[in-house]
Amino acid sequence: MTIVEAHALTRVFPMSAGPVSAVRDASLRVDRGDYVAIGGPSGCGKSTLLHLLGCVDTPTTGTVRFEGRDAGALTDSERGRIRLTRIGFVFQRFFLLPMLTAWENIELPQAEAGAPAAARRERTRALLEYVELSARADHLPSQLSGGEMQRVAVARALANRPALLLADEPTGELDEETGEHIAALFDRVHADGTAIVLVTHNAALAQRAKTRLVMRSGVLVTT
Amino acid sequence: MTAFALAWRTARRYRARAVLAVAGVAVIGALNFDMLLLSRGLMLSFADLVNSTGYDIRISGGSGGPLSRQPIDNATPTMKEIGALPEIAAVAFMRTATAAAIRPTRPPEGLELIGSSDPAGLGIWKQVAGSTLDGAGGDVSLPPAVISRPMAERLNLTIGSTLGVRVRLAGELSAMPAVSLRVTGVADFPFESQNAFVVATTMEGFARAHGGVLNDQAEFMFARSRPSAGPDAAAAAIAKLRPDLRAFSNEQLVANFAKNAFAYFRQISVVLSTTTAAFSFLLVATLLTVSVNQRLGEVAALRALGIARRKIAATLLWESALLVGLGGLFALPLGQLLAMVLDRILRRMPGLPAGLHFFVFEPQSLVLHAAVLAATAVVAAIYPMWLAVKLPIAQTLRQETVS
Repeated sequence: MTIVEAHALTRVFPMSAGPVSAVRDASLRVDRGDYVAIGGPSGCGKSTLLHLLGCVDTPTTGTVRFEGRDAGALTDSERGRIRLTRIGFVFQRFFLLPMLTAWENIELPQAEAGAPAAARRERTRALLEYVELSARADHLPSQLSGGEMQRVAVARALANRPALLLADEPTGELDEETGEHIAALFDRVHADGTAIVLVTHNAALAQRAKTRLVMRSGVLVTT
Repeated sequence: MTAFALAWRTARRYRARAVLAVAGVAVIGALNFDMLLLSRGLMLSFADLVNSTGYDIRISGGSGGPLSRQPIDNATPTMKEIGALPEIAAVAFMRTATAAAIRPTRPPEGLELIGSSDPAGLGIWKQVAGSTLDGAGGDVSLPPAVISRPMAERLNLTIGSTLGVRVRLAGELSAMPAVSLRVTGVADFPFESQNAFVVATTMEGFARAHGGVLNDQAEFMFARSRPSAGPDAAAAAIAKLRPDLRAFSNEQLVANFAKNAFAYFRQISVVLSTTTAAFSFLLVATLLTVSVNQRLGEVAALRALGIARRKIAATLLWESALLVGLGGLFALPLGQLLAMVLDRILRRMPGLPAGLHFFVFEPQSLVLHAAVLAATAVVAAIYPMWLAVKLPIAQTLRQETVS
C-alpha cells in the first residue's frame, strides 16, 4: 500500500539574487514497510524534498499524494492533521519543548490528536520503554544527553502511530556511538512496520535502509 | 496539555524574562491604576465631603460660582423665608472672618473665625471632642467656640479653656478689642486646610468679635430638604422663591465641579493612563516577540508535528495574559501605596480642604484597570502570535538547522 507518492516535484525558492531550484523533477513512492535513505551533499535539496513529502511545504510544480489524497489540494489545517496523525518527524536538533519533561513531550502530540488520558498514559509509558528511557520520564530535555533527547524525539514522532517516519539528519548532532544507537532504534521502528524516509550524511545509517537514493543539485538519483 | 498549561510552563522555564515582564507591568500598572484613581478621585472625594455635611443644598449669592462666597444680604430673614418652604426641613448660614488668637506674652496666631447659625455646625465641622456650640463648660458668660484639632494641639487648648480672638482687617490686627471665647469642643473642619487654625462660634459670638456691630450677611446658607421633596425639588423651590440667590443640590454642585473644575485632572489622567498602557504594551510585546524569535525552531517543529496554529497562538496569548495579569495583580497594592504617598504630597498644597483627596478608590477603577490590562495583553500578543502562526515551517527548520 502506497503511503506517499511524489510526482515530478520541483521547488523553486525566489531569492533576491535570482530563483533557486532546490528540487527538480523528483518522483518517489514510499510504500508500507519501506526504508528509504536519501544522501547527497549539503544544499542539494534533501531536506526540501523531505519537507515536501511530509506536507510541511508545497511544491512549486508537481504533486504529492499522501495516502491517496493530493496534499496540494488540502487546506493548511488538513495538512496539519495529516502531519499530526499520519507522519512522525525527527529533526537533527531534536526540537523538544524545553519546559516539558520527556513524558510530556511524548504526550503532547497525542493530546493534540485528542487521545483519551488513559490511552495517552499507556502509550507514553510504552514508548519510553521502547526507547529505553523509562527512568528519565520526568527529566527535562536540559537534563538529558543528546542521544537521549533524540530517543525522546523518536518516541514523540511515534506517539500517534504514524504510517511514515521522516527524519532529517537524525544523527547529525550525535557522536558515532550514539548515532549507532539511534540507527538501531530506526531499525526497530522499521521492523515494527513503520515506513521510514531519512535524510543523512551518515553512510552507516544510510546502509541500513532498503532503498538508498542520492540527490545532486536538486535531482533525485537512484544508487 | 492545554494552551494555558503550556504558557505557564513556558513562563516558569524562562523565569528571568517572566520576572522582568511581571515587574515591569507591575510598576507601569501601578502608575496606570493611580491615574484611574486620580481621574475621578477629586470628584468622588468632593462628593463625599459635601454629602457628609448633613445638608443637601447650598445657597450662595446670585453672582459668582457656588463657592465664590458672594454674600447674601438680610441673612436672618432670608433663612426664615427659606426655612418656611414646605420642601425644606432645616436651614443654617455661616460667615467667616480673618482673625488672630491673642495670648499673653506670645505673638498673635492667625486663624479663620467662623460664625455659624447652626450650633451643631453640621455643614462646617465634625466634632471630635467636647460638645457643639450648645455645650456648657468654662465661663458660660463667654460665647462658645469649637476649635480645630491642630489649633487645640499647638496652643494647648482644652475643653473649658478661654481663647482671646481679635478680628483682622486686610491682614492687619484691627483696633477692635479682643473677644474672649470659651472652648466647648474640638473638631475637624474638612473644608479648611489640614493644619489650619479655625475657630467656629455662634453668630452672636461672631458679632461680638466685630465689636457688636455687624451687618446681617451670610457667605453661605445650607439647607436640608425634606425626604418627601428631595434636594433637586427643594433647590428649585428656593430658586423660585429667591431668583436673586443660587441654590444647588449637592448632586448638582458635584456635577458642576466635575464638568468644570475637575475636567483637567480627568484629561491628565486619560493621557497618562494611555501612555502607561502603551508602555505596558511595548514591554510585553517586545519580550514576547524576542521570546518567539528565540524559539522559532521550537515553534516551527511544533507546527511540523501538526500542533494547530490556533493552539500555538492561544499559548502565546495565555503567556501574555499571565505576564500582564500577574503584573496587574502586583500593581494593585503597589499602586495603592503610591497613591497614598502622592495623595499625602498633593494634599500639602496650601488652602486645600483637609477632607479632599486626589486618589480615591472605587470599584469602577478596578474594573477599568483590569480592562486596560486585558486589552494590553491581547494587543501585545498580536504580533508575536502573527509571527508564530505565519512562520514558514520548512524555511525556518532549514535556517534553524543551518544556524
